Amino acid sequence: MIIRMLKHRLRRIAALIALLIIAIALAWPRPLVDHVPLGEQQIVQTDQPLVCVHTLLENEVQEAKIKRSLQLTRELGASTIVQFFPWAYAEPAPGKYDWFHADRIVRHARRQGLRIIARLGLVPAWARPSQPDSPTTLNFLPEQSFDDFARYAGAFAERYRDAIDVIIIWNEPNLSFEWGYRPVDPAAYTRLLRASYQQIKAANPDAQVLAGALAPTLEGAGSAAGLNELDFLTGMYQAGAAAYFDALAIHTYGFRDPPAAEPAPERLNFRRAELLRETMIAQGDGDKPAFITESGWNDHPRWAAAVRPSQRSAYTIQAFKFVAANWTWVEKLCLWAFRYPADLLSYPDYFTLISADFTMKPIYYALQDYARGWERNENPWLPPPRES
Amino acid sequence: MAAAAARKLSRRKALYLAIPMAAALAAVLAGVLVPLERPPSISSAFPAGAIVVGVDASYPPFALDDGDSMRGLDIDLARAIAAELDLPVRFLNIGFYALHDALISGQVDILVSALRIDPARMDDLRYTQSYFDNGLVLVRAADDPLSDVNTLTNGRIAYEYASSAEGQVRVWEENGQSIARLPYELPQYALDALRLGQADAAIVDATTARLYLSAQREWQARYERLTHEPYAIALRIDRADAWQLVDAALETLIESGELARIIDKWL
Repeated sequence: MIIRMLKHRLRRIAALIALLIIAIALAWPRPLVDHVPLGEQQIVQTDQPLVCVHTLLENEVQEAKIKRSLQLTRELGASTIVQFFPWAYAEPAPGKYDWFHADRIVRHARRQGLRIIARLGLVPAWARPSQPDSPTTLNFLPEQSFDDFARYAGAFAERYRDAIDVIIIWNEPNLSFEWGYRPVDPAAYTRLLRASYQQIKAANPDAQVLAGALAPTLEGAGSAAGLNELDFLTGMYQAGAAAYFDALAIHTYGFRDPPAAEPAPERLNFRRAELLRETMIAQGDGDKPAFITESGWNDHPRWAAAVRPSQRSAYTIQAFKFVAANWTWVEKLCLWAFRYPADLLSYPDYFTLISADFTMKPIYYALQDYARGWERNENPWLPPPRES
Repeated sequence: MAAAAARKLSRRKALYLAIPMAAALAAVLAGVLVPLERPPSISSAFPAGAIVVGVDASYPPFALDDGDSMRGLDIDLARAIAAELDLPVRFLNIGFYALHDALISGQVDILVSALRIDPARMDDLRYTQSYFDNGLVLVRAADDPLSDVNTLTNGRIAYEYASSAEGQVRVWEENGQSIARLPYELPQYALDALRLGQADAAIVDATTARLYLSAQREWQARYERLTHEPYAIALRIDRADAWQLVDAALETLIESGELARIIDKWL
């Protein structure tokens, strides 16, 4: 009798524990999986292998929109994307990696037949100093966390060794804003580059490590805003950077100049990239190629550095032709930016090829015609009104 | 039994009386012990004794750096707010992408830079009330007898190609309105089409409409708002005192008509 009662109680307790486990499992927070099918393996059809776009899928939460963005990239005729993989998202606690979102992007990009150039950056809170009165930004990487970042770079290279073979270390370290609002420091960036290079090469010796991704700017020494990219690159070489990168990542924008406009140290325009190239040659590093990982024109109606939409399309195509004809040292020309997941609500929205709601802009069609060898030759707008 | 019930009743009455009395006493004590809420002091809200303003001075007519100085609607507004607070003002010209980090890291006290209120940033920022609404407007000739948007069916509507104005046209079409689309390369061309009688209406943002109308003074047109895109001043979320002072100063500028004068000067 007692044994039967005990058995009965034990069964009830076991049932309660099972119910509790089910309740906890149901309530436990976990990422939403929206199960968008990958679809058939695709191949990019393009006549212009230089064409590349910078995607911004790290903040795109809907898998269907990730897939749509990458489909449109393929249909554009771009064979390569630059995509940001934030450290802060991938390693929320030291040594605990969460590759869920990165895996999703890589999976869809590969299925669309796209090559990925990965950009790494953005510091998790645990790797930054805690200063309640003076918070640090997500770009603040203290020297004592360089090795932590490098370990992430190595883990990234290892995880995606079959999918990603080009990795950019940091973004625009010659701007104080991109360096956590601290004085920029070519030697410190070189130390970060060295640590990252060693970890990446240990994980995947075939990976190409890209340095720089320096911002085009005219800031001189001592400026609070940063340092021009020519002096910064020279500073990197002086700190011994040459041994720790395989190619240079270049950012070059046209602003209001056409692409063929002559470069000069005191002028920001597309061919300013040639000055960086000259610096590399002067440092005996001319055998290395370059990837232009950010470029383009803006066509906002009022921004001071913008051009008209028709100029933007024409200049962009001229830039691709110019690079193909003259810059044999450039591997890819990547436009900033394909699409923002949400509008920024200001003039930077006019840098994109398609809007957040997937409206195609004139630049998209113009670039597609060029990359795919199509000749539509039709303006999507009416001619300017005239007095009748 | 009756006596016990009476005692219970009187106890309940006493309880009913005691609760409001205790509440009244607490209120009196609170009034004595807690001073009336005062506006925060300027010196504690801005301990550096100045307001440092972050602005992207590449965005006329709101802010433009012409090499020697900065000028524009946002510059005048920031100066007026600083004057209300009796503080000197200093401007830092910062590109759009860096503005928010400059605020979060304490490089600047406030951002006055044609910033639209962005709900996605409200974990980090506090916005003041809006000082300008740059939403889309529907512009029509002043002598157009039609009275509202619904009367535009089959009308010729001019707008900037691939802009938010086109998005508005698409919304109307999805709602069953038939519209003759007139897309132009630039928003000014859409207004030209309207002025020249080649369109029945144009959709542009409020800034474009105001700039165009002030440049074409001989042309009479009117506009009505279609959407709202409020511009506001941003502060770091933990600087509640500074936010309160800046918002109050802006309120004063609105009430005095000074804000309207600044807007009229630039737009």
